[in-house]
Order: sequence, then C-alpha cells, then structure tokens
Amino acid sequence: MSERRIDAVAKATGAAKYTADVVLDGMAHVAVNRSDFPSALIVKIDTSVAEKVEGVLGVFTAKDLPVAVNLYGRRVFDVPILVNERVRRVGDPVAAVVATTREIAEAAAELIEVTYKEMPAITTAHEALESNAQLIHDRPWEYKGAVVTPETGRNIQSLETHGSREAAEAALRSAVHIIDETYTTPGDHQGYIEPQACIADYSADGSLRVWATNKSPYRLRDVLSSVFGLDPKRVEVMPTILGGDFGGKGAPGEVPLCTALSILTGRPIKMVLRYSEDLLSTDGRHASEIRVRLGIDNEGKLVGGIAEALLDGGAYAGFKPVNTVNLHGIVDAAIAYRIPEFFVESKIVYTNNQPKGHMRAPGSPQAAFAFESAIDELGRRSGIGPIKIREINLLSEGDVNPYGDTWLEYRGKEVLSLATSQPNILDIPKGWLYGEGVALYARSMAAVPKTSLRLLRGQGGKVIAEVPIPENGAGGQTVVREMIRSGLGLNSDQIEVKQVSTSLLPTDAGVGGSRVSLGVTVAVADAIKLWKEMPPDQDAVEVTTNEGSDGPSGAYSAQLARVAVDPATGQLKVLEIISAVDVAEIVNSKAHQMQIDGGTVMGFGFGVMEDLLEDAGQPWALSMGEFKLPNVADIPKLSTVLLHGGKGVGPNNIKAVGELTNCPTGAAIANAVADATGVRIRQLPVKAEAIYWAMKEGGTK
Amino acid sequence: MQSTDTEFLIPTSVSEALRNIAKEDAIFLGGGTSTALLYKTRMIEPARVVWLGNVGELKGMFASPTEVKIGSMVTMAEIAADREIARLLPGVSSAAGVIGNARVRAMATLGGALAHADPRQDLPPALIAVDAKVSVRGGSSSREINLSDFYEGFLETVLAPDELITEVTIPIIPNRHSSYLRYTPTSEGDYPTVGAGASLTFNGDGKSISTAKLALCGVGAVPIVSSEANLVLAGTTGDDSVLRRAADMVREAVDPQDDERGSADYKRDMAVVFAYRALKACLVS
Amino acid sequence: MNINFTLNGKGMELDVDPMALALDVIRGLSLTGTKEGCGVGVCGACTIMVNGSPVSSCICLVGTLVDKDVWTIEGLAEKMPELIDSFVEHEGMQCGICTPGQIVAAASIDSVGASSPEEVKKYMAGNLCRCTGYQTILSAVEDHVAVN
Ligand SMILES: Cc1cc2nc3c(=O)[nH]c(=O)nc-3n(C[C@H](O)[C@H](O)[C@H](O)COP(=O)(O)OP(=O)(O)OC[C@H]3O[C@@H](n4cnc5c(N)ncnc54)[C@H](O)[C@@H]3O)c2cc1C
Ligand code: FES
Ligand code: FES
Repeated sequence: MSERRIDAVAKATGAAKYTADVVLDGMAHVAVNRSDFPSALIVKIDTSVAEKVEGVLGVFTAKDLPVAVNLYGRRVFDVPILVNERVRRVGDPVAAVVATTREIAEAAAELIEVTYKEMPAITTAHEALESNAQLIHDRPWEYKGAVVTPETGRNIQSLETHGSREAAEAALRSAVHIIDETYTTPGDHQGYIEPQACIADYSADGSLRVWATNKSPYRLRDVLSSVFGLDPKRVEVMPTILGGDFGGKGAPGEVPLCTALSILTGRPIKMVLRYSEDLLSTDGRHASEIRVRLGIDNEGKLVGGIAEALLDGGAYAGFKPVNTVNLHGIVDAAIAYRIPEFFVESKIVYTNNQPKGHMRAPGSPQAAFAFESAIDELGRRSGIGPIKIREINLLSEGDVNPYGDTWLEYRGKEVLSLATSQPNILDIPKGWLYGEGVALYARSMAAVPKTSLRLLRGQGGKVIAEVPIPENGAGGQTVVREMIRSGLGLNSDQIEVKQVSTSLLPTDAGVGGSRVSLGVTVAVADAIKLWKEMPPDQDAVEVTTNEGSDGPSGAYSAQLARVAVDPATGQLKVLEIISAVDVAEIVNSKAHQMQIDGGTVMGFGFGVMEDLLEDAGQPWALSMGEFKLPNVADIPKLSTVLLHGGKGVGPNNIKAVGELTNCPTGAAIANAVADATGVRIRQLPVKAEAIYWAMKEGGTK
Repeated sequence: MQSTDTEFLIPTSVSEALRNIAKEDAIFLGGGTSTALLYKTRMIEPARVVWLGNVGELKGMFASPTEVKIGSMVTMAEIAADREIARLLPGVSSAAGVIGNARVRAMATLGGALAHADPRQDLPPALIAVDAKVSVRGGSSSREINLSDFYEGFLETVLAPDELITEVTIPIIPNRHSSYLRYTPTSEGDYPTVGAGASLTFNGDGKSISTAKLALCGVGAVPIVSSEANLVLAGTTGDDSVLRRAADMVREAVDPQDDERGSADYKRDMAVVFAYRALKACLVS
Repeated sequence: MNINFTLNGKGMELDVDPMALALDVIRGLSLTGTKEGCGVGVCGACTIMVNGSPVSSCICLVGTLVDKDVWTIEGLAEKMPELIDSFVEHEGMQCGICTPGQIVAAASIDSVGASSPEEVKKYMAGNLCRCTGYQTILSAVEDHVAVN
C-alpha cells in the first residue's frame, strides 16, 4: 500500500504556490517584442512610442544588456538574451518592455517598430545541408561549449555515430530480405499546462534571487553566474513547484533576460509567458526524418542495420543539455535487438525554425517510431510476421547489445508476450476495419546523478528532509518521505520534505532522464544510514552523492495498440493500448501507474495529434486551439500488465518508468493501422486523411 | 487593466439595449467567449460594450406544437439540456451539446453563436436544416431573416452594427426528422473538419419525402446550403442510392480551404460522406 | 466601474475595469488557485464556477459576473471537502497545475447532470491534464458523482 502523496492536499485546494503565483514588492513585468521573420537583419528598432505608454518603466534592446557576452545556453552558449543584429527564427526576442503591469508591457511591446532586412531562410533540415546553404551561424564552433569544428559540416549542431557504416552496408548486402524506408515526425511541444515563468530580483549588493519554472536550479545558478559574472554563492534559486516539465523546463528560458532587466531597473522583474508565446519560443521536440535499413537472413535473423537520422535543431543548439549536444535516444535506436552490424548516425542541424531541446526520453519517441515501424514492415513483408520477427531478434541472456554492453537481464521477449496475450473485450464499431500492432522500447538505466540532501531534527521528533530539486509532479518528494518513513520507522506526519534554495545545499544535477527517483533514493538511503548513527548532540546530516552506475541494465516496455479505421473516411480510433512494463520494486504504486498512463497518453498524442505545424519557418500551432493535446474523451482504454521480478538499481531496487511508455506508442498505432487497412503510414501524427488517401491508392503493409 | 476607457453598459430591456448601442464602435456582448479572446489579443477595441446578460426578454425558450422559439441569450448548455428541443430538434440539440467544451457551452449564447460567423461553427448548419429564422431588432425597425440568408462571409453577417438578434424561431413541421453530425478526426475537442445538418420531411404516407434540407459547416467561408439535395430527394423514398446521389451534390457546392483540419480535397470528400450520413440519420430517427 | 457579485459565498464590491478578465481579477485578490494555462478557453486550468456552471475565467470579462454567484477552488475546498478528499485519495494529480480546474469542473458537474461514465468523460473532456493519463482524475470524479 502506498500512502497518499505529500503534495496532494496543497494541490487539490489551490494552496500550492507555483512560480506565476509569487508576488514581490515593487515587482515590474516584462513583455517581449519578438521577430516575425525566420531570418533577417535588424535595421532599426524604434522604441519611442512604446516608451511613452503610461506605466512603461523602460524599453530595452540588446545594446542595453549588462553582459560581456550576450549569449547563454545549457551546454552550448549560442542563444542571445536579446538579438542584436540578426534574428534567426520567428519568435527571437528583439526588445523588452518593463512596465507596471503585464498587460501594459504586452500592449507596449506591440508598439515597438522593428525594421528588418529579410535574409534567405532555411526552413527544413535538408536545405540546411545543401552545399550553398546560408550559414545560420557563421562560426558555430566558436561558441562556448560547442561540439562542432569547422570540419563537421555546414549548419551542424551535433553529429553522433555509432558502429561502422561499411560493415553494416556489407552485412545488408548479404541479407535475404531488406527493408529500406524513411519515417518522419513533426516538431512537438512538451505540452505542460503551466507556461514558463520567472522572477529575477537583483540587489545592488550583487546578490540575485530567482524563482523560475526550472527543474535544474543548480545548473541555472551556474549559467546565471557565468553570464552575468556574479559570484555563484550570491545567486540563489528559490524553491518552487513545477506545473509539468517533460523535459521542457531545464533551460534557463527567460531568466537571463529578467536578470538583466532587474539589474538595469533595480526592481524585481517578473515574466509569465502566454501559452502562445511558450509554443513559439521555448524548446520542444526535434522534428525527425529517419531512414532505417534492416536486413535478415533466411531464418529471420537480423544481419545488419543502418539508421540515419536527420533532426531539425532549429536556430540554436543551446537547449540541449548533454555533452554530445545530441539526443541519445536516436543513437540507442537498436538497443533491444541483436544486430551483428549496426550503424547509426544522428545529425542535428541548425535551421531557422524554433530551437529544440529535450522532451520526455529525448530522441526515443522518434527513433522508436522509425525502428519499430521498420521491423514491423520487415516482419510483414518477409512473411515471418511482426511478432515473430521480434521474438527471433530480441536480445536474450548473455547477449551483447549493438553498443557492446551486456545487460544484467533482457526482458524484451517477456514484455512482448505479455502485451500480446491479453484478452480482447472491445466493441468494434460496425463496418470499421480492426487491427492490432505492437511496438517495443528499451531504455538503458541512466547513471545515478549527483545530488545532495539534508535531514534535520524538527520540533516534536519531526524529521525534516531538505531536497535540492523542485517537485515536478512525478512524486519525488513522496518517495523521499516514504523511504524515511520506513527507514526510520516514523509516521508520515512526522516527516516534512521540502525543497530549499540553491544556497542551502551543495549540488544537484537536475530532474531528468527518469533519474529523479533514482538519484534521490541513493541520497536518502545514505542519509538514513548517517542519521541512525548520528550522535544525540547533532541536529542534521548532509549527504552528497557522486555520479555512479549500477552496471549496465535497463527497462522494457511493449505496447499493443488495438485500433479501428472507418474505411469511408480514414478516421482512426485507437480503442485500447496495452502496456506491458518491466518492473522491479515499486515504491509508490499509484505514482508508478500514473507514469505509465501519463506516458501512454503522451505517446498517443505524439502518435495521432500533436504537431507544431512548422512550415516556412514558423510554427502555426500557436494556441491550444490548434496545438491539440489528448483530452479524456479522446484517449483509448489504457491497460497495463506489469512484468514483475526484474533486477532494479539503487537502494530500493527500482526500474525507471517515466520514459518507458511514451516511446513505443506511435509505432504501435501505425503498425495497427497497417494491420487493419493494409496501408503503411510513415509520418506522425497518423492522420485520418493520410490513411484515407493511402487506402484510396491501395497500399501494402 | 489594458484599457479603462471601454464603457460597459448593462441594459435590462431590449429597447434600452438598442438605445445603448447607438454609438460609434459599440458592440453587443452575449457570453463573451469570442469577444474576450479578440479583446485580450487587442484585435478589437470597442468604445462601448452593451452586455445583454440582464435582458430577461432574451432568455426565453418556448416550444409549441408549431414552433420553437429560443431567445438570443439562451446558452448552448441550456439548449443542449432541454428535453423538448432534444425531442423536436435532435440536430440542434446535439450541435449545441458538442460545441467546444462544457465551459464554452455554459457561457456561449445563441445570439453570439450566430453573430460570430466563424464558418466552422456547428450550430448554423443544424439550424439552417430546420429552417430557422432570426428575429432582429434595430433602432427603428425589426426584421426576420432566414438563417440561410444570414451569412455574408468569414466573420460577416447581414446584421448592421446596431441590430440585435432577439430570438430564433424554428417551425415545427409534422413528419420532419432532423440530424446534425460533425467530423473531428483529430480530437473531439476540436472544431469540426466538416459538420452536416440535415432534415427530411415526409409526406402523409410516411414514406415519400416532400422536402429535404442539407447544410454544412467547415467547408466554405459561410455555412454551405445544398439546395440540390432537395431536388434529388423530393418525391423519392430516400433509398440508399438516392441519398448518396443527393449527398454527392455537395461536392460542387462546397468551397473548402486547406488547413490543419484537412486539405480542401479531403474536406470535399468528407462533406459528401457526412452529408450522406446526416441524411441517413434522418431516416432512422 | 463598481462590480458586485458573490465570491466564495461572500458579497464583493470591486472597483475594476469591467473588461478585465475574471482570471486576472481573481488572481489579483490573492486567490491564485485559479491558474492560467492556455489562455484561450481550451485547457480548463482557469475554471471557476459561476451560478453553478463551469466557466473559463481566462475568456470571461469580469463585467459579465455582475450579480453572479462565483466560486473558486479556495472557496469550494472549504465548501466541498469530500470532493477534495476524493481527489486526494485517488491521487488525481501529479504536477497539480490542472488540479484546481479539474476539481472546480467536477464541483460544477450537476449543471449538466452528467452521471454515466461516458457523460462524465464528455463533460470532463474540457479539462486537460498532461501528467496523469486521466485515470485517477476520472475515478475521483466518478466517486463524487456516485456520492451525490
Ligand atoms: C475554446 C473554444 C472552443 C470553441 N469550439 C467551438 C466548436 O467546437 N464549435 C462551434 O461552433 N463553436 C466553437 N467555439 C465558438 C463559440 O461557439 C463562440 O465563441 C460562441 O458561440 C460565441 O457566443 P458568445 O455568446 O460567447 O458570443 P460573444 O463573444 O458574446 O459575441 C460574439 C459576437 O456576437 C455578437 N453578438 C452577441 N450576441 C448578439 C446578439 N444578441 N445580437 C447581435 N449580435 C450579438 C457580439 O457583438 C460579437 O460580435 C469555441 C469557442 C471557444 C472559446
Ligand atoms: S487558461 Fe483558461 S481554459 Fe486554459
Ligand atoms: S497534474 Fe499536471 S497537468 Fe494535470
């Protein structure tokens, strides 16, 4: 039995305070004038009309910024706080209005007259690679943190490969059956309901306090101190609650701008993005085009494979946090299978589209759609069958995966068999075509990240746990409480868990990569040990864990989609998605199940509706009226079967679950559509219209 | 907050409302759902807003054996919840019940839903299919307009700025069956790709059709009325092949645009499918 | 302009611009449980209850609240503790940003008389949640409907 979540009552009664709810004395508001062009030079900025609006405290452009270098980023510093010369995307910030209210700031921002000289725009990843393509950044290798060199190639943000192309090609030449198809997915947005917001409060004494919808407070602190030359000890990122993250709230966002404006005006500066602005200016999921080639021998065994991904990174690389500035989900595309020769390339290019960053299992939903569609096609075309071909090729005990690792256990076959053996009690609409499709996903368990934590004696025997990271909804703080409760034999009400500011704990690597529970659990376990040994005259224990890893391992999910298609319209109804999920111990069963369900619904959205509608250098889905997210009436029946008994990691012996079920869904649905109709949709989202025209033309699976 | 100079008047009678509207840049306000959106994005900046929420005369809903009258300030939720309307005018009832979401339905009014004139809106085709007439009062005159003649273009109606929709009258005709179907392939919470309202009125024998009406939304700058459907169906017994032929006539009548809800070609094909289904639904209802 | 209405059971007289959005006025009264999400009437994070019905405060001009009976999550939490308990027990939340809106919508469900699971789904379809996958929210609302 899991106890109810720690934050439930505060959230249900409206008492929980989010960043947008914070009000400071003397606070002013900011609104930004953003570029309407994907690529242009700024000729002139006329702020005179805006400045005269009653309530406007100041209008600022790049020239006014109190920084040595007007650039920031998560890894690569290539994002301007305000653009000085050249806008590289629709939505680039050009000027900022500070005013007494948000509405005045917004109205005045529209009165800023910017004169542009348009430049040619690169609006697709392919154009970016053409030999005469306009350079989006003249010398990208000079940016702090850049991973490219002048030799990497034109307009490239990051290029990662694994394996040998020649060997894989040779293996494919020897294959009996081959599939060679290309799959595409659109730009997407994390779809958190809380738009990004922040407050920066700079004092003349050189100290800065920040409230922000940011999951990585310590990284944010470091970026701010580096950009503004502030002493990191005097930059304090305050605790907050995140109204959803899904990877989108790791970047500094508008905090550098608000910090600059707070320095300039001497006031606390607040910015709350309108949702339309969030859709336009934050860091969603990369649009992808992935060509997959797979070959099998006459027993159906994979002999070789190549996956080549071209990803649209948009105007800036600065929103990707990892060392490679790439998306490891792409490189890991074949992680569940035995492929003797596998080559993968992940190429992310600069374009004049919105910059892209991380979204729930970065790269994996795209890669899983491509790879799991391709293997399905190969199974159907070769006559082996889509399930059988997976059974033949999934890794099993002792195997080495295409990346040279041998996991503690491989549970792909088991989850596959669970997902495909559930009873069907569905009502299928009369006259509709019915089909089933399966897809699989495996995720290596990320290394345990660095974090820190403190336990304190509170009043009346209470234990207070101070944690470094915000609660993003996944239930990390509840996990902390549960561990302390059982570890120290206390009742829930004797434990308080709270996030503290960055000044009060040493470090944290930030929420992400399903690592919250894991990193925190290691720290809590260590702290409990110390607490038990704590001398009576001591009031607190503090632990800092280092990055570590429990040996190569991973977790699996398999999904079966049951769909019906109306042959007269192509309308697709996903009736049920069965998720079979590989688990070890489960710390909080409700939170665990919600990760599975929430992930599946997100995968469903990616599969059938979400699309920023990027075209001609502009996302056209600029409100939730056009950017559709699944509602409760849209979603299929969600069924879950757990494959218990796995070998987990960390002190609680767990397997990460947060990024398992949103990855295979798109492929499961497309595979089911192929099963139902005989037509293959290789582009997400799977649209009724695409099915309709494909059925008219007549297709093959 | 953004502008404190918009006057906000709250008349309590139609005549007061009409006096209030006699000012440059004055607009009526019903539920405010579309007006608030336009206002907050600074697309409109009216000098005066005349809110009709306290005009009791506009809130009535009456059903008699010969007609249904719905006041312009009746909300979508009230229309959808009304049992008599569900029985007499199932298409209208279901159209009112699917618009947007529960909050939009609670706020949006009949007058606003008609005057807004977004061609994707559900209610107009459902009402046109049952011969709805719009009663309008202006400063010095009043008139009745067939809803089928009400729309002039995208967000444009025949209303003068100082004309107020007071009510909508729908004749109740014996042996008439009506329906409304919408097609939302992406999300149920979306505007329809196409919506089709239909009615079939049968002769005394209960079998042969005397009149057929068909109207569509989402496939033109205004709601599309297919008069050809009547030519094909009148006098027949509505056999499947005839229904299909009638539905096929909309192919020429519609004028859809490519957008995120579908290409023009797809919408044209879907208009035919849903025209057929809406007509067919009138047979079984 | 002076605007009179009842807010969470108490009479209110406010001197505000009638063209201001109810969302901003309410949040300006430190009632920050009402959240701004999409700002265009779609997501439901800003749901308030007006005369028993759910309303998007982000597209509601405050002038239209004159003489109305308005409730926000803060008031409903006190008035309907069982509904709050139902969401807490079922854990009908993760990040919680949609939760006040979900609860205010659930509190207003009598306005349409939804009772079957299908009707409940159709009614709740206007309140988006990106985290939970909806199952726990549905259970909480269904419990509430069953008890009422
Ligand atoms: C989130 C959302 C989703 C939506 N989804 C749908 C959908 O799926 N299908 C659909 O059909 N519609 C949809 N709509 C549109 C909705 O139908 C309209 O916004 C609504 O009907 C307008 O009604 P209202 O009373 O709120 O109008 P208001 O905003 O008050 O007024 C709209 C216009 O009508 C004028 N007006 C109002 N009353 C009168 C009157 N009595 N006489 C003369 N003029 C008048 C006003 O001056 C204004 O120009 C959606 C809207 C929103 C916000
Ligand atoms: S914020 Fe009002 S409905 Fe989304
Ligand atoms: S709990 Fe996060 S959006 Fe619903």
